[in-house]
Amino acid sequence: MEALSGWWDDYFWGSVVVLQVFLASLVLMVIFGLIGAAAKLSSNRVAQKISGAYTVIFRGTPEILVILLLYFGSAITLTAIAQVFDPEIKFVDVPPFWAGTFAISLIVGSYATETFRGAFLGVKPGSIEAAYALGMSSVQVFFYVRVPEMWRLALPAFGNHMLSLVKDTALISIIGLNETLFVAKQAIATTGQPFTMYIVVGLIYLSVSTVITLTVMALEHYGNRHMRIAA
Amino acid sequence: MTNAQPLIQMKSVGKHFGDFQALKDINLSVSKGERIVVCGPSGSGKSTMIRCINRLERHDEGQIFIGEIELTDDLKDLNAVRREVGMVFQSFNLFPHMTIVKNLMLAQRLVRKTSKQEAHEVAMHYLERVKIPEQANKYPIQLSGGQQQRVAIARALCMKPEVMLFDEPTSALDPEMIHEVLDVMVDLAKDGMTMICVTHEMGFARSVADRVIFMDGGEILEQAPPEEFFGNPQRARTKLFLSQILQH
Amino acid sequence: MSFDLSLILDALPKMLMGIGLTFQLLILSGFLGLVLAILVMLMRISGTWWLSWPAQAYIYVLRGTPILVQIFIVYYGFPQLEFIRESFLWPVFRDPFGCAVVALTLNTAAYVSEILRGGVLGVDRGVLEAGEALGLSKSQRFIYLTTPIATRLALPAYGNDIISLLKSTALASTITLMEMTGIARTIVAQTYAPYEIFVSLAIVYMILTFLIQKLLARIERFLGRYTIRES
Repeated sequence: MEALSGWWDDYFWGSVVVLQVFLASLVLMVIFGLIGAAAKLSSNRVAQKISGAYTVIFRGTPEILVILLLYFGSAITLTAIAQVFDPEIKFVDVPPFWAGTFAISLIVGSYATETFRGAFLGVKPGSIEAAYALGMSSVQVFFYVRVPEMWRLALPAFGNHMLSLVKDTALISIIGLNETLFVAKQAIATTGQPFTMYIVVGLIYLSVSTVITLTVMALEHYGNRHMRIAA
Repeated sequence: MTNAQPLIQMKSVGKHFGDFQALKDINLSVSKGERIVVCGPSGSGKSTMIRCINRLERHDEGQIFIGEIELTDDLKDLNAVRREVGMVFQSFNLFPHMTIVKNLMLAQRLVRKTSKQEAHEVAMHYLERVKIPEQANKYPIQLSGGQQQRVAIARALCMKPEVMLFDEPTSALDPEMIHEVLDVMVDLAKDGMTMICVTHEMGFARSVADRVIFMDGGEILEQAPPEEFFGNPQRARTKLFLSQILQH
Repeated sequence: MSFDLSLILDALPKMLMGIGLTFQLLILSGFLGLVLAILVMLMRISGTWWLSWPAQAYIYVLRGTPILVQIFIVYYGFPQLEFIRESFLWPVFRDPFGCAVVALTLNTAAYVSEILRGGVLGVDRGVLEAGEALGLSKSQRFIYLTTPIATRLALPAYGNDIISLLKSTALASTITLMEMTGIARTIVAQTYAPYEIFVSLAIVYMILTFLIQKLLARIERFLGRYTIRES
């Protein structure tokens, strides 16, 4: 245990990186998911096809492969583009933070696409028809009937997507992101205590997962308040 | 079994669900061959009462006897009692993953330890009695509701029970299918089967019941032969209930 | 920047040399994971606190931490522990393949046990009551009613987990195993052609995903034959 003493700071900053990746990827994931779902539900066949391909590709490819491809691939592409303007440039470095965040958002966004789509289709047409029959405008129907009901239907799966984002953050250590798993590697190199160091990483991720799970549970409880018979 | 020994006897039976008292001081005795119809408003405890008879619910006060065996927690072979008590549910509850004939054979094979061939013969015999032998190899979902309920009755009969319990057998059916199920039940009554039926089919009660029981608030409020029950109900609540269900 | 086709033709056979190892990991940990999952699920629904509590804790920890951390704890961490080095299982933990199978098994079992539990809880109570009323014993009801119905209910989600497991086998490359992704990373390190190599490997994984999905759809159709109205 005393082997840990010099490493608390590093683990703390590693945890901060985990949270940064989580927040950034959460925003991107929602955007990708909503765009994907909108495209799947649109009447435009090209949009449907593109969105279909998106989900097939990112759900069928190992996460690590997507991360490696985006990291090394974007570096090569950006280098090539930069050399057009300045042939002197040898190599453009892409920060692992953004390559990794982008990669896991794309992956989890492909799952969120299906969640959002399913939730949108899951809203009972009867409620919507009833709202129109009462004279609500389509904008009102969207915000007062569709969105709240959709949100309630999507929440359980959405909670799992958030957990996936957190856990996938560990994979970004492979391309050198200095999150907790990366910290552990350095700590092991000097202390020679891999079990201790990795268990700490496990506990950090477990705490983050727990906080997210509890938050989602509270939101679900709130979202289902009208489903309970007794108050 | 003689008339001296009732087939089913409930003595001061009570049952609670938490704070809610579902059954209050139920005393009921059913002899062999008797046909009882139980009616009453929803939540009156009629389903709970017959579910106690084959111990799908446990009573917490009083005593219940099936023949000479008392239903208690110490009862070693509850299933020996259950196979003598056939039950038909409101929602049919056929085994969805088995064909009709397999539905009828399963309990015979597992509980009665009947040979495969005999179980099949018995199954086909009862499918003919409920007039759908041609459906033997279909799955439950491929049958209409009325057909499914007839299969459920045949499934219970395959165990050659001493008594049949019916828990609102026609409530989940479309109107045009109700009579085909009732016809089977009437046939069964004519053959002398002991039956306890929870139902609101008053025509059925009038034509086959030996006794009609009215329940409300977990209690038996009134019991009488059908002519008396319908012709001259004693309690105000019975009159109100009858006026509500008979006025249409 | 260019897309070098001859490079792919050169690299693809090399990567496919690793497909055997990918399959070994998938099938071995898929099978062991299913066995463990059934055990954990039975513990979880047993209604006995000293069985269900450990099962719940197991599921919570394994689902709340990244699989990469789990792999590292097993491969790098366990050898730090004296009792592991001295146990009869040491040959398993000394070997990266053994470690990968152990970690993947433990991980997938946590997810699959919850999927199976969902299936068991999804069985219509009325059907079980009918069995009870006919005199079927508790174990007879479990074997003849719950198991076949729950299997069908759980299969679609279980299929998704198999695909997750396939993708997770790629992480074995992080502990020196030369399955397809491991080989691909070596080739990229030599050729520095991430697009060609990783994209073609991604296609291989997508084909495998597709084949698994086809197979599962067949099994689903077979198990679900009694859910179709028209015979």
